[in-house]
Amino acid sequence: MSSISALANIHSTGRFGDYEGKKDNDILKISEIKNLLIVQIVQFKNSTISTESIDGLKFKDEPMNVACNDDTRILWNGPKNWLLISNKKDLLINVVKAFNEKDFAVTDLSHSRAIIEIEGKNVKEVLKKGCPFNFNSLNINNSINSTYNGIAFTVDLINDNPDKVRLFALRSFGESLYHSITDASLEFGYNSI
Amino acid sequence: MLYIFCPHCGMRSQNEFSYGGDATVKRPELNKEVSDKDWDNFVYNRKSLRGKHWELWQHISGCRQWIKVERDTGTHEIFNTLKADEEISK
Repeated sequence: MSSISALANIHSTGRFGDYEGKKDNDILKISEIKNLLIVQIVQFKNSTISTESIDGLKFKDEPMNVACNDDTRILWNGPKNWLLISNKKDLLINVVKAFNEKDFAVTDLSHSRAIIEIEGKNVKEVLKKGCPFNFNSLNINNSINSTYNGIAFTVDLINDNPDKVRLFALRSFGESLYHSITDASLEFGYNSI
Repeated sequence: MLYIFCPHCGMRSQNEFSYGGDATVKRPELNKEVSDKDWDNFVYNRKSLRGKHWELWQHISGCRQWIKVERDTGTHEIFNTLKADEEISK
């Protein structure tokens, strides 16, 4: 089943903010990402077994670490806690098989997140406006959980030239986060696609 | 802005944390007789110290883990942080 858009009521295409006289590459690109598999995997506190690889990727218990290939990204979400994001919807079957119920809690969150993707050289400036994290220390294939204007969200830096991030928020907070992000982007001009 | 060093994630803003009370309170042992006074002390009675104090905080908008933080309640200076399962050294 394809995901119903979390931002359908507010995400409209076009150019907004201070975009006049600027080249396409100099303004931000904002889009909604849908149809991704999002799975939360939590290893229970007393479990000591090592985690298996999924889609050729190992689960590393390292802060900010993202293990990734072209289709799948595994974000560190906390100690023994990961968020698997993938274009491959059928990967869920492999995950459920690889992580037994005795040691892991596997939860499909595909329909409970709003995902906003922003690309452009001023991405970090937009994030700094509402989030207290020091984004100068965020490198490619790093992810963090933090807050943006009080909304809990996850940032995944998927490219750094130019910066490209995916922002994940609870679906019910998606519209609020979208408004906050687009308001902060007006200064730089953005192309909503 | 107050910054707290999360033992799991690193230095983060206090906005991401939620205060969880005194970290030095010990729960009465299970399966043993507990007097009303001991139970009251565990559940309700707290000292309101000025100075260094071990507190529980939860990194609620980050890794969601509980941590222990040694903070001066007068100056807000933070001296030390520990994982929840680490013992406080006296």
